Amino acid sequence: MKKYALYPGCLMPTEQYAYELSLREVFPLLDVELVDVDGFSCCGEPLKSINKMMTLYLAARNLAIGEKQGLDLFVPCPMCHFSLSECKHVLKSNKEMRDKINSMLASEDLTYKGTAGLVHTVDLLHDIIGVEEIKNRVKNPLKDLKLATHYGCHLLRPSEIGRPVDSENPQKMEAVLDALGAKCSFYPEKLDCCGAPIDANLPESALTKTGQKLQAIQDHGFDAIVDVCPWCHKMFDSRQSKAGETVAAKLDIPVLYLTQWLGLALGVKKEKLGLHLNSSPVDKLELK
Amino acid sequence: MSIVDLTSMAEAQAELRKEINARLAKLQNESSEYCFQCAKCTAGCEAHKLLELEPHKIVALLKRGLIDEMVNSDVIWTCMSCFKCWERCPQKVAPVEILNALKNMAVASGKQIPGKYTAMLQSVLSICLIQDVQEVTTHEGKTMKRDTLGLPPLSKPTDASKFQMVLTKLAVEKI
Repeated sequence: MKKYALYPGCLMPTEQYAYELSLREVFPLLDVELVDVDGFSCCGEPLKSINKMMTLYLAARNLAIGEKQGLDLFVPCPMCHFSLSECKHVLKSNKEMRDKINSMLASEDLTYKGTAGLVHTVDLLHDIIGVEEIKNRVKNPLKDLKLATHYGCHLLRPSEIGRPVDSENPQKMEAVLDALGAKCSFYPEKLDCCGAPIDANLPESALTKTGQKLQAIQDHGFDAIVDVCPWCHKMFDSRQSKAGETVAAKLDIPVLYLTQWLGLALGVKKEKLGLHLNSSPVDKLELK
Repeated sequence: MSIVDLTSMAEAQAELRKEINARLAKLQNESSEYCFQCAKCTAGCEAHKLLELEPHKIVALLKRGLIDEMVNSDVIWTCMSCFKCWERCPQKVAPVEILNALKNMAVASGKQIPGKYTAMLQSVLSICLIQDVQEVTTHEGKTMKRDTLGLPPLSKPTDASKFQMVLTKLAVEKI
């Protein structure tokens, strides 16, 4: 059994419960134990525009808590995963910064060493559990579904700091979904942003971005969307009807987390995967 | 009026330029000096399509030292942090990091922070997360929260006062 400390971040545990419910349900079925650890805080990424020193400190602080447990961190949010990865990247080569941060961490009796590894949902499934293993556990294949994958910017780029998927041609979600029996195909807008990062100061523009991408996906004839980021999901799922207004279109496309699709294929009941919390038209899919 | 119109009247600020370049060197071992204005960053920029941000011009203005022009402009707040500029730059320049530096400078100089950023900062300072537990509605119209969904309590710093003390100190720190 593999064991990880679950680093929840902010958005998933305070609002995007469907992601948390589904991942807590599916990973134990795939022999991965998720350990709840006390003491975590915001990853710092949302504060980057205000003060990046704060971002680096918060990221290092959360990494140090993981290190104290002697566990690698499972970070299901790409924003958090980015923040922690960037912190590791910067502190690896910058001793001066590492010392400065460690002197501040001392007040909470923490030390950053850089020993804790990081995984996100996608590489945990694809690289660590493995596609073959997942395929062997499928009970209800996702038949006759044409799915559009959306990875989210923070998971894809920049490769310089180390990202879990290829930045220009990501295929790991496709491989996992293929094992579940669904079909994914390429679409030109695949790498585009969901709009969420400017929702804090330019909400109308953020929704327009969301609307444009959703409309494109709908026009390409996909049955549904697969995502792995609570921020992207909030835009695509919770705010879909509002996003439709910005592009004058009736948007009507189901959006599910990868872990929800996985749970369905593994035979987990819909309520346990939080499907009753998705705002997009998931009932349209007539899932068992 | 766009950034370009204003800059024709401005004077270069060598010190601020040095400060930003030193910061970029510390964070990503990058130098904006290597930019040769191929505009590949702008070609992919998510904010360019919608909000007319032109990352290659941001780098050009930095190289000329026209920092105040950018710090005072709303355009620096349109970046969507999609990181395409950083990923695709053939010279390993990261315009997104220059924009972060400029936004941090704007905040440090006391300019008004747009949108919900201040609220998020205050929330992190008081409850260590950007927001508290929200209520959600199920398809059947039932109101749910973490506990009613059977999820464990939130992970939070054990000593919030120590956490807040360091963060408050950090608010005035620079990289």
